[in-house]
Amino acid sequence: MIKIEDRLSLLNYKIDKSYEHITINPSICETCPDHFCTFACPAKCYTLIDEKLNFKYEDCVECGTCDTACSHGSVAWTNTKGGHGVKYKFG
Amino acid sequence: MSEFDVIVVGAGPAGASAAIRLASNKVNVLLVDRADPPGSKNVSGGVLWGDSLSQVIPDWEKSNMLERYVEAKGVTFLTKDSKISIDFRSKKFGEYKSGYTVLRTKFDAWLAKKAKDAGAMVVSGVTVDKLAMKDGKVIGVEQSGETITSDSVILAEGANSRVAYDSGIKKKPEDQKIALGVKEVIKLPEKTITERFGLTSPKMGFASEYVLGFLDGGVKAGGFLYTNRESISIGAVISMGDLRKNNQTYSFNVIEQFKDHPFIAPLIQDGRVEEYSAHLVPEGGMSVDSVYGNGYMIAGDTAGLTFSNGLVLQGMNYAVVSGILAADSFMERKSKGGDMNFENYQKNLENTFVLRDMNNFRGLDQVTWSESIHSTIPAIAEDAMLNIFSENGNPKKHLSQIVISSALKQKDKRKDLAVDLYRMLRRM
Repeated sequence: MIKIEDRLSLLNYKIDKSYEHITINPSICETCPDHFCTFACPAKCYTLIDEKLNFKYEDCVECGTCDTACSHGSVAWTNTKGGHGVKYKFG
Repeated sequence: MSEFDVIVVGAGPAGASAAIRLASNKVNVLLVDRADPPGSKNVSGGVLWGDSLSQVIPDWEKSNMLERYVEAKGVTFLTKDSKISIDFRSKKFGEYKSGYTVLRTKFDAWLAKKAKDAGAMVVSGVTVDKLAMKDGKVIGVEQSGETITSDSVILAEGANSRVAYDSGIKKKPEDQKIALGVKEVIKLPEKTITERFGLTSPKMGFASEYVLGFLDGGVKAGGFLYTNRESISIGAVISMGDLRKNNQTYSFNVIEQFKDHPFIAPLIQDGRVEEYSAHLVPEGGMSVDSVYGNGYMIAGDTAGLTFSNGLVLQGMNYAVVSGILAADSFMERKSKGGDMNFENYQKNLENTFVLRDMNNFRGLDQVTWSESIHSTIPAIAEDAMLNIFSENGNPKKHLSQIVISSALKQKDKRKDLAVDLYRMLRRM
């Protein structure tokens, strides 16, 4: 089994330092009973660190899964801008 | 006066086909994609089935953007210890069109270039925020607070349809209307692939769909494995509802379980993973209340035009056809000087396999994601095969006795199985 971190390291990103295309509402995540996002997100952008939800947009592959996965209204999802974000070689 | 006749949002098979069709007919069209180069965020399995593309690119099969022609098609059930499969190969795939494996980044860039060559303006790295509306009619698109005007818009932005959501013309999908596709591209020498899959030449390919009936925690997923020229596309399509119910399996590990299966691992042995990707897959037919409105049409994945019955997984061919029909519907309206409310697009779709398939197979997803398909039937088949193909010194039984006795072992699930078999017969 290849670790997800190693698989993600194969990808090319043009990271937008001035715009986070996905944001979460920490106060909603704090009381979340399931944290399904941590299992659903295929890029492991959502992790629990000391039972606190941690989100990083930089590894996002822009699939939109988390927006569907979160049934508590915490995820605000927008497209990346200006050609930023993931750039596949094969697709 | 609008800046463009048509703005097409999204350079995938739907959007590019629409743009090529329009531009070849001297329509002033803008094809805009948020990725740069165009198509570099697009992902699919992927096999492009059928010959729909010939309507816009007559010699498309001569393109060196295609990977391999599918001469061998598999349908496979995997249990923890066994593999039960149909491996259909036919010389008649020369006359009966199957499909070509493609790698989308390369393929879609080529499609976008075809649109440009035909006269479309192609803009990449530009993100459309939403449709621009005036008096209940779409008058173009909005991008960073500015409006680019057009007589109509063809929305072909894919399964993660942000423009459609933010314009209020599509609701976000329920769990049963969406699955998560996770994929890897694994590099292997061309010769190894040809030999390993028993293919007749390096131009010929193998494509198989899998029912993954062995996953941890009973998560339901389908698998796929397609051969490219010098790589293998392998992936899993995971039911969002099951993943949620399970809530302890990581989506990114499902594909690894598939790859580690004792009868899949040898197929990708010594291969190097070159890319990892993920993408949403629309399930269960049309995902919008209407494929058109005043000044716009919706094509491809954005409209939920994909088909899966467990035997095949198709999307790109539906995308191509819907894109072409959207283009034709615009030109029909334009030539008659009529309004831009495209009920003719809906009618044109109804006259092709696109909406006929959606209607005829409505509800089939209940079967393809059922417990019967993912666990009961594979268990019965495995038990029956072990009885038929092994020798244990006992007198042999009739085939029907074997199957019945294997089925009886699954007795808790008999009622569900009967219901699912009935659904299958009616809808398949």
